[in-house]
Amino acid sequence: MDERLRETLSAMMDDEADELSVRRLLSHGNQDEIRAQWQRWQQVRDLMHESHFAPYSIDVAGAVREAIDGQAVPADSRRKARAVATSYWHWPVAAMVALALVVGFGAGAGWESQPGDVTDILAAAGIDEGGAAELTSAVEEVAWQRLDEDQLRQMRQYLLEHAQHNSVGAGGGSMGYARMVSANGGY
Amino acid sequence: MKFPVKNRLVMALRFVFLAVSFFMGASVAYSQAPEAPESEPVGQAMAWLERLGPALNMTSYEGVFVYARGDQVHSMRIAHRYRDGRVEERLVMQDGGSGEIVRKGMHVVCVLPDHGRIRLDEVIPSGPFAEAFTSQLMPFGQWYLPELIGEDRVAGYDVVTVALTAKDKHRYSHRLWLEKSTGLLVKSHVRDVDESVLEHFQFTSLNITDDIPDSEFDVQTQGREITRHLDAQKARQTPVGRMNGWTLNWQPEGFMPAAAPRSGKGKAVAFSDGLATFSVFVEPVKKLKMPTGASRIGATTVYMREVSVADRAFLVAVVGEIPPGTARKVADAVTIDSDVARGWPVSDH
Repeated sequence: MDERLRETLSAMMDDEADELSVRRLLSHGNQDEIRAQWQRWQQVRDLMHESHFAPYSIDVAGAVREAIDGQAVPADSRRKARAVATSYWHWPVAAMVALALVVGFGAGAGWESQPGDVTDILAAAGIDEGGAAELTSAVEEVAWQRLDEDQLRQMRQYLLEHAQHNSVGAGGGSMGYARMVSANGGY
Repeated sequence: MKFPVKNRLVMALRFVFLAVSFFMGASVAYSQAPEAPESEPVGQAMAWLERLGPALNMTSYEGVFVYARGDQVHSMRIAHRYRDGRVEERLVMQDGGSGEIVRKGMHVVCVLPDHGRIRLDEVIPSGPFAEAFTSQLMPFGQWYLPELIGEDRVAGYDVVTVALTAKDKHRYSHRLWLEKSTGLLVKSHVRDVDESVLEHFQFTSLNITDDIPDSEFDVQTQGREITRHLDAQKARQTPVGRMNGWTLNWQPEGFMPAAAPRSGKGKAVAFSDGLATFSVFVEPVKKLKMPTGASRIGATTVYMREVSVADRAFLVAVVGEIPPGTARKVADAVTIDSDVARGWPVSDH
């Protein structure tokens, strides 16, 4: 897919593509590729846009997606896709908070004072039988105590940003915020 | 026909009683939920899991939960009320620095410990990310085997226990305890292949009730207040921009790119399979050198490696609730576009 088509596709995501470009896109030879790309983006877009309290006024993109789907996707596979849609669930708020709390409260205290912990877990995992052990044993271990202050800081920054991503799944908002706030408290 | 006033009152009351008992009956019947046949633990487990999502938001409750990993235990008090389609929530940290977060619908107020060193503008995203995952379709059943494995009691409530056993070695297994009448998650484990518990969440006190006074949702901690309004319209961002400059050539089956809040200054992209999440960071190495390898805290792995592209050093970091082996494979699968590498702005951090 060339850059222009990608741009059109991207513009369609934002409901900003002009008709001509859309027509060109729809008449493009490799519809499978376009559809795959569209679905990937759409999936991510859905994530960000379809919040419960902010429905769109006009879902042009949705309609176009239907149009694109309609060209090549048989009706029954579309139905199947919808059936799958009903069986999703939300990642537990619970575990969301989890990480933040540890990033937060644990960051200052725990890591430095109980570095052995981390090493122990790694060591234990390495002894296991099976594929995971195989993977684990092949992974070089970095114990927290080997890190200097700046490195720890960087590590925490990553954990914090990851906690934010995780909070995306919190479903309940505050829980996600809780993780970040407590992460902040640990610095 | 005329009834004496008293009789009419009695009739009215009787009607009300009937109506109430009808609705109660209906709601009880509804809450008996899982329609799956008794003989099928997988179907039953799925039925319970389907209730979990709505239950998280639409159940009203208050209580204290603990979170433990390794030998660390932390606790937080929460009040959560669902009324007229709006979620109100207040969380108060119970140990360490004092702080609390109050959310009313889309409006969020945080009061934080004074000694915070991170600027909050960087930390708190402005997008409507909170509900983002929840509308995502996650056929997690493909990657985990859900099974109803028993009944138990947690924080005074009868619960069912659901095991979600990872079908491959790329993710951890989970165990969830759901309150029977509401489906609320009251306890959870993240488990390693050897069944050892890496992360543990649990309510220690819980009251599931619609009767939570308004005062429970007032900010009570003194301190610096930060207010945010979650605005859904702001989240106009395509994932394409985020992954500019690098490609992930492998990820464990089922992990899909997830919405990422834009406040982070890193080039992070999050992936989720509906249960577990990992984030991939790619950025040029500055003065700070990071060691190559994996570090673990509970179920969270941080795997870092340095790569050199077009004579520039980049740090690839994978952070997530995934086994170290998976994190390493993901990190190894990142390729940085050499053209982009040359022109990568030297701005972050």
